[in-house]
Amino acid sequence: MKVLNCVILVAALVLSVGSYAAAQEMTKEEWQKQITEFTAKRNELKTKLAGVQAEVDKLKKDDADQAAAVKKCNDDLMALVGADAAAERGYAAKLDEIDAKVNELSRLSNQDLWARKGEIDDVQKMVDGAKQSKLGALPKYYDRIKEQQNRLDALRKTLEAAQLAMTYTVGTWAKDRDCLWNIAKKPKIYDNAFMWPKIWQGNKDKIKNPDVIKKGQVLTIPPKADLTKEEKSAVRSYWNKKKAAAEPAAAPAAPVKK
Amino acid sequence: MKKSLAGLFVAGALLATLATGCTSRPNAEELKQLDDLKAEVSSLERQIGAKQSEVAALQKAIADKQAQLAQCEKEKAQVQEHLKGM
Repeated sequence: MKVLNCVILVAALVLSVGSYAAAQEMTKEEWQKQITEFTAKRNELKTKLAGVQAEVDKLKKDDADQAAAVKKCNDDLMALVGADAAAERGYAAKLDEIDAKVNELSRLSNQDLWARKGEIDDVQKMVDGAKQSKLGALPKYYDRIKEQQNRLDALRKTLEAAQLAMTYTVGTWAKDRDCLWNIAKKPKIYDNAFMWPKIWQGNKDKIKNPDVIKKGQVLTIPPKADLTKEEKSAVRSYWNKKKAAAEPAAAPAAPVKK
Repeated sequence: MKKSLAGLFVAGALLATLATGCTSRPNAEELKQLDDLKAEVSSLERQIGAKQSEVAALQKAIADKQAQLAQCEKEKAQVQEHLKGM
Protein backbone atom coordinates (compact mmCIF):
# COMPACT_ATOMS: atom_id res chain seq x y z
CA MET A 1 0.00 0.00 0.00
CA LYS A 2 2.82 2.32 0.93
CA VAL A 3 4.54 1.60 -2.37
CA LEU A 4 1.37 2.53 -4.27
CA ASN A 5 1.15 5.82 -2.38
CA CYS A 6 4.72 6.61 -3.29
CA VAL A 7 4.13 5.88 -6.97
CA ILE A 8 1.06 8.14 -7.01
CA LEU A 9 3.01 10.95 -5.35
CA VAL A 10 5.90 10.72 -7.80
CA ALA A 11 3.48 10.71 -10.75
CA ALA A 12 1.71 13.76 -9.34
CA LEU A 13 5.06 15.50 -8.93
CA VAL A 14 6.02 14.77 -12.54
CA LEU A 15 2.66 16.05 -13.79
CA SER A 16 3.04 19.23 -11.74
CA VAL A 17 6.48 19.97 -13.18
CA GLY A 18 5.20 19.31 -16.73
CA SER A 19 2.24 21.60 -16.20
CA TYR A 20 4.52 24.37 -14.94
CA ALA A 21 6.80 24.12 -17.96
CA ALA A 22 3.85 24.23 -20.34
CA ALA A 23 2.52 27.31 -18.59
CA GLN A 24 5.78 29.15 -19.45
CA GLU A 25 5.22 28.76 -23.23
CA MET A 26 3.43 31.50 -25.23
CA THR A 27 -0.27 31.17 -25.57
CA LYS A 28 -2.10 31.94 -28.81
CA GLU A 29 -3.51 35.13 -27.26
CA GLU A 30 -0.04 36.31 -26.26
CA TRP A 31 1.27 35.56 -29.76
CA GLN A 32 -1.58 37.51 -31.30
CA LYS A 33 -0.93 40.42 -28.97
CA GLN A 34 2.78 40.52 -29.92
CA ILE A 35 2.00 40.22 -33.63
CA THR A 36 -0.35 43.20 -33.36
CA GLU A 37 2.16 45.21 -31.31
CA PHE A 38 5.16 44.54 -33.62
CA THR A 39 3.12 45.10 -36.78
CA ALA A 40 2.10 48.53 -35.48
CA LYS A 41 5.70 49.28 -34.55
CA ARG A 42 6.96 48.17 -37.99
CA ASN A 43 4.43 50.40 -39.74
CA GLU A 44 5.37 53.33 -37.54
CA LEU A 45 9.10 52.78 -38.24
CA LYS A 46 8.48 52.50 -41.97
CA THR A 47 6.72 55.88 -41.91
CA LYS A 48 9.55 57.37 -39.85
CA LEU A 49 12.19 55.96 -42.23
CA ALA A 50 10.39 57.46 -45.20
CA GLY A 51 10.34 60.83 -43.40
CA VAL A 52 14.06 60.69 -42.57
CA GLN A 53 14.88 59.64 -46.14
CA ALA A 54 12.92 62.62 -47.47
CA GLU A 55 14.88 64.87 -45.10
CA VAL A 56 18.19 63.37 -46.33
CA ASP A 57 17.19 63.98 -49.95
CA LYS A 58 16.28 67.60 -49.21
CA LEU A 59 19.52 68.19 -47.29
CA LYS A 60 21.58 66.69 -50.13
CA LYS A 61 19.97 69.13 -52.52
CA ASP A 62 20.58 72.04 -50.12
CA ASP A 63 24.22 70.96 -49.75
CA ALA A 64 24.70 70.91 -53.52
CA ASP A 65 23.06 74.35 -53.81
CA GLN A 66 25.35 75.77 -51.12
CA ALA A 67 28.42 74.28 -52.82
CA ALA A 68 27.40 75.92 -56.10
CA ALA A 69 26.84 79.26 -54.35
CA VAL A 70 30.29 79.09 -52.71
CA LYS A 71 31.93 78.29 -56.06
CA LYS A 72 30.12 81.15 -57.78
CA CYS A 73 31.15 83.58 -55.04
CA ASN A 74 34.80 82.50 -55.32
CA ASP A 75 34.66 82.86 -59.10
CA ASP A 76 33.19 86.35 -58.69
CA LEU A 77 35.95 87.21 -56.25
CA MET A 78 38.67 86.16 -58.68
CA ALA A 79 36.92 88.01 -61.49
CA LEU A 80 37.01 91.17 -59.36
CA VAL A 81 40.81 90.97 -59.12
CA GLY A 82 41.11 89.79 -62.72
CA ALA A 83 43.20 86.74 -61.93
CA ASP A 84 43.04 82.99 -62.12
CA ALA A 85 44.27 80.33 -59.74
CA ALA A 86 47.70 80.12 -61.40
CA ALA A 87 48.25 83.89 -61.14
CA GLU A 88 47.21 83.76 -57.51
CA ARG A 89 49.69 80.99 -56.79
CA GLY A 90 52.48 83.07 -58.39
CA TYR A 91 51.46 86.08 -56.34
CA ALA A 92 51.44 84.06 -53.12
CA ALA A 93 54.93 82.75 -53.96
CA LYS A 94 56.16 86.31 -54.44
CA LEU A 95 54.78 87.30 -51.04
CA ASP A 96 56.49 84.26 -49.52
CA GLU A 97 59.76 85.47 -51.03
CA ILE A 98 59.23 88.94 -49.53
CA ASP A 99 58.49 87.39 -46.15
CA ALA A 100 61.69 85.34 -46.31
CA LYS A 101 63.75 88.46 -47.19
CA VAL A 102 62.17 90.55 -44.43
CA ASN A 103 62.70 87.74 -41.94
CA GLU A 104 66.33 87.46 -42.95
CA LEU A 105 66.92 91.21 -42.62
CA SER A 106 65.10 91.33 -39.28
CA ARG A 107 67.46 88.75 -37.83
CA LEU A 108 70.57 90.80 -38.68
CA SER A 109 72.55 92.78 -36.15
CA ASN A 110 72.53 96.54 -36.65
CA GLN A 111 76.01 96.40 -38.18
CA ASP A 112 75.08 93.71 -40.66
CA LEU A 113 71.84 95.50 -41.43
CA TRP A 114 73.80 98.62 -42.19
CA ALA A 115 76.06 96.71 -44.53
CA ARG A 116 73.02 95.31 -46.35
CA LYS A 117 70.86 98.41 -46.20
CA GLY A 118 70.53 98.38 -49.97
CA GLU A 119 68.51 95.18 -49.67
CA ILE A 120 65.82 97.03 -47.72
CA ASP A 121 65.24 99.16 -50.79
CA ASP A 122 65.19 96.05 -52.99
CA VAL A 123 62.53 94.47 -50.79
CA GLN A 124 60.62 97.74 -50.76
CA LYS A 125 60.48 97.57 -54.56
CA MET A 126 59.08 94.06 -54.33
CA VAL A 127 56.44 95.19 -51.83
CA ASP A 128 55.54 98.15 -54.04
CA GLY A 129 55.13 95.75 -56.95
CA ALA A 130 52.87 93.52 -54.85
CA LYS A 131 50.79 96.56 -53.91
CA GLN A 132 50.27 97.40 -57.58
CA SER A 133 48.62 94.05 -58.33
CA LYS A 134 44.85 93.79 -57.93
CA LEU A 135 45.44 90.48 -56.17
CA GLY A 136 46.71 92.58 -53.29
CA ALA A 137 43.11 93.66 -52.73
CA LEU A 138 42.22 90.15 -51.55
CA PRO A 139 41.92 90.34 -47.76
CA LYS A 140 44.31 87.46 -47.15
CA TYR A 141 47.05 89.33 -49.08
CA TYR A 142 46.02 92.88 -48.23
CA ASP A 143 46.76 92.46 -44.52
CA ARG A 144 49.91 90.49 -45.28
CA ILE A 145 51.33 93.24 -47.48
CA LYS A 146 50.46 95.79 -44.82
CA GLU A 147 52.36 93.72 -42.29
CA GLN A 148 55.36 93.44 -44.61
CA GLN A 149 55.37 97.21 -45.10
CA ASN A 150 55.22 97.72 -41.32
CA ARG A 151 58.17 95.41 -40.83
CA LEU A 152 60.17 97.19 -43.52
CA ASP A 153 59.39 100.54 -41.88
CA ALA A 154 60.54 99.10 -38.56
CA LEU A 155 63.81 97.96 -40.16
CA ARG A 156 64.39 101.44 -41.53
CA LYS A 157 63.75 102.93 -38.09
CA THR A 158 66.20 100.49 -36.55
CA LEU A 159 68.75 101.51 -39.13
CA GLU A 160 68.16 105.21 -38.52
CA ALA A 161 68.36 104.74 -34.76
CA ALA A 162 71.63 102.82 -35.12
CA GLN A 163 72.97 105.53 -37.38
CA LEU A 164 71.96 108.36 -35.05
CA ALA A 165 73.46 106.58 -32.09
CA MET A 166 76.93 106.59 -33.67
CA THR A 167 78.34 110.02 -34.34
CA TYR A 168 81.70 111.62 -33.77
CA THR A 169 82.41 115.32 -33.38
CA VAL A 170 85.71 116.27 -35.02
CA GLY A 171 88.27 117.90 -32.78
CA THR A 172 91.44 119.77 -33.77
CA TRP A 173 94.52 118.31 -35.38
CA ALA A 174 96.75 120.09 -32.88
CA LYS A 175 94.99 118.67 -29.82
CA ASP A 176 93.16 115.54 -30.97
CA ARG A 177 95.11 114.57 -34.10
CA ASP A 178 91.75 114.07 -35.80
CA CYS A 179 91.79 112.84 -39.36
CA LEU A 180 89.69 110.05 -40.87
CA TRP A 181 92.56 107.56 -40.45
CA ASN A 182 93.02 108.39 -36.75
CA ILE A 183 89.29 108.53 -36.04
CA ALA A 184 88.80 105.06 -37.56
CA LYS A 185 91.73 103.82 -35.47
CA LYS A 186 90.11 104.86 -32.19
CA PRO A 187 89.10 101.81 -30.13
CA LYS A 188 85.61 103.26 -29.60
CA ILE A 189 85.15 103.75 -33.36
CA TYR A 190 86.50 100.84 -35.47
CA ASP A 191 89.78 100.14 -33.77
CA ASN A 192 91.07 99.78 -37.33
CA ALA A 193 92.57 102.70 -39.27
CA PHE A 194 91.95 100.98 -42.62
CA MET A 195 88.24 101.40 -42.10
CA TRP A 196 88.52 105.17 -42.68
CA PRO A 197 86.80 104.98 -46.13
CA LYS A 198 83.65 103.80 -44.35
CA ILE A 199 83.47 107.10 -42.45
CA TRP A 200 84.22 109.03 -45.64
CA GLN A 201 81.54 107.26 -47.68
CA GLY A 202 79.07 107.44 -44.80
CA ASN A 203 79.47 111.23 -44.77
CA LYS A 204 79.78 112.01 -48.47
CA ASP A 205 77.51 115.01 -48.01
CA LYS A 206 79.90 116.53 -45.46
CA ILE A 207 83.31 115.33 -46.68
CA LYS A 208 84.24 116.19 -50.25
CA ASN A 209 87.97 115.61 -49.75
CA PRO A 210 88.83 112.90 -47.22
CA ASP A 211 92.04 114.72 -46.36
CA VAL A 212 90.05 117.68 -45.10
CA ILE A 213 87.69 117.50 -42.14
CA LYS A 214 86.76 120.49 -40.04
CA LYS A 215 86.67 121.02 -36.29
CA GLY A 216 83.14 120.67 -34.92
CA GLN A 217 81.89 118.57 -37.83
CA VAL A 218 79.52 115.85 -36.58
CA LEU A 219 80.30 112.69 -38.51
CA THR A 220 78.03 109.70 -38.75
CA ILE A 221 79.87 106.52 -37.90
CA PRO A 222 78.41 103.66 -39.94
CA PRO A 223 78.21 100.37 -38.05
CA LYS A 224 81.32 98.25 -38.11
CA ALA A 225 81.43 95.94 -41.10
CA ASP A 226 83.72 94.99 -43.95
CA LEU A 227 84.28 97.68 -46.58
CA THR A 228 81.62 97.51 -49.26
CA LYS A 229 82.36 97.37 -52.98
CA GLU A 230 81.56 101.10 -53.28
CA GLU A 231 83.82 101.99 -50.37
CA LYS A 232 86.70 99.98 -51.83
CA SER A 233 86.17 101.61 -55.21
CA ALA A 234 86.18 105.07 -53.61
CA VAL A 235 89.46 104.23 -51.89
CA ARG A 236 91.06 103.08 -55.15
CA SER A 237 89.92 106.25 -56.84
CA TYR A 238 91.33 108.32 -53.96
CA TRP A 239 94.76 106.66 -54.13
CA ASN A 240 94.87 106.92 -57.91
CA LYS A 241 94.22 110.66 -57.68
CA LYS A 242 96.90 111.02 -55.00
CA LYS A 243 99.34 109.08 -57.12
CA ALA A 244 98.61 111.15 -60.19
CA ALA A 245 99.04 114.35 -58.21
CA ALA A 246 102.37 113.15 -56.77
CA GLU A 247 103.89 112.25 -60.16
CA PRO A 248 106.15 114.99 -61.63
CA ALA A 249 104.58 117.05 -64.34
CA ALA A 250 105.04 115.52 -67.76
CA ALA A 251 108.32 116.54 -69.42
CA PRO A 252 107.94 119.21 -72.01
CA ALA A 253 107.76 117.91 -75.53
CA ALA A 254 111.08 117.68 -77.28
CA PRO A 255 111.78 120.45 -79.72
CA VAL A 256 110.87 119.54 -83.21
CA LYS A 257 113.94 118.91 -85.32
CA LYS A 258 114.04 120.84 -88.45
CA MET B 1 -4.19 13.11 7.96
CA LYS B 2 -1.22 12.17 5.78
CA LYS B 3 -3.49 10.41 3.32
CA SER B 4 -5.80 13.40 2.89
CA LEU B 5 -2.83 15.67 2.21
CA ALA B 6 -1.44 13.37 -0.43
CA GLY B 7 -4.87 13.11 -1.99
CA LEU B 8 -5.17 16.88 -2.22
CA PHE B 9 -1.76 17.15 -3.85
CA VAL B 10 -2.59 14.52 -6.42
CA ALA B 11 -5.90 16.20 -7.22
CA GLY B 12 -4.18 19.59 -7.68
CA ALA B 13 -1.59 18.12 -9.99
CA LEU B 14 -4.25 16.49 -12.11
CA LEU B 15 -6.23 19.74 -12.36
CA ALA B 16 -3.15 21.74 -13.41
CA THR B 17 -2.31 19.16 -16.06
CA LEU B 18 -5.81 19.29 -17.45
CA ALA B 19 -5.86 23.12 -17.46
CA THR B 20 -2.55 23.50 -19.36
CA GLY B 21 -3.32 20.71 -21.72
CA CYS B 22 -6.48 22.45 -22.92
CA THR B 23 -4.86 25.94 -23.63
CA SER B 24 -4.29 26.72 -27.41
CA ARG B 25 -0.69 27.62 -28.49
CA PRO B 26 0.87 29.13 -31.69
CA ASN B 27 2.29 26.62 -34.12
CA ALA B 28 5.85 26.75 -35.53
CA GLU B 29 4.86 28.80 -38.60
CA GLU B 30 3.17 31.42 -36.45
CA LEU B 31 6.18 31.62 -34.17
CA LYS B 32 8.43 32.13 -37.24
CA GLN B 33 6.11 34.93 -38.43
CA LEU B 34 6.58 36.67 -35.09
CA ASP B 35 10.37 36.24 -35.22
CA ASP B 36 10.49 37.65 -38.76
CA LEU B 37 8.44 40.62 -37.68
CA LYS B 38 10.78 41.31 -34.78
CA ALA B 39 13.82 41.08 -37.09
CA GLU B 40 12.19 43.52 -39.53
CA VAL B 41 11.57 46.01 -36.69
CA SER B 42 15.22 45.76 -35.60
CA SER B 43 16.40 46.30 -39.16
CA LEU B 44 14.18 49.37 -39.54
CA GLU B 45 15.50 50.79 -36.30
CA ARG B 46 19.10 50.37 -37.57
CA GLN B 47 18.25 52.00 -40.91
CA ILE B 48 16.64 54.98 -39.17
CA GLY B 49 19.71 55.36 -36.95
CA ALA B 50 22.00 55.40 -40.00
CA LYS B 51 19.81 57.93 -41.82
CA GLN B 52 19.71 60.18 -38.76
CA SER B 53 23.52 60.15 -38.69
CA GLU B 54 23.51 61.11 -42.38
CA VAL B 55 21.13 63.98 -41.60
CA ALA B 56 23.48 65.27 -38.90
CA ALA B 57 26.50 65.06 -41.23
CA LEU B 58 24.65 66.86 -44.03
CA GLN B 59 23.45 69.58 -41.65
CA LYS B 60 27.06 70.15 -40.57
CA ALA B 61 28.30 70.24 -44.18
CA ILE B 62 25.62 72.78 -45.09
CA ALA B 63 26.45 74.93 -42.06
CA ASP B 64 30.14 74.87 -43.07
CA LYS B 65 29.31 75.94 -46.62
CA GLN B 66 27.02 78.68 -45.35
CA ALA B 67 29.90 79.99 -43.25
CA GLN B 68 32.22 79.82 -46.31
CA LEU B 69 29.68 81.70 -48.37
CA ALA B 70 29.26 84.38 -45.72
CA GLN B 71 33.06 84.75 -45.52
CA CYS B 72 33.31 84.95 -49.31
CA GLU B 73 30.62 87.63 -49.50
CA LYS B 74 32.43 89.58 -46.81
CA GLU B 75 35.70 89.27 -48.73
CA LYS B 76 34.01 90.44 -51.91
CA ALA B 77 32.87 93.60 -50.15
CA GLN B 78 36.37 94.12 -48.75
CA VAL B 79 38.00 93.61 -52.16
CA GLN B 80 35.67 96.18 -53.71
CA GLU B 81 36.59 98.57 -50.93
CA HIS B 82 40.34 97.94 -51.36
CA LEU B 83 40.13 98.29 -55.13
CA LYS B 84 38.57 101.71 -54.71
CA GLY B 85 41.63 102.74 -52.73
CA MET B 86 44.14 101.44 -55.32
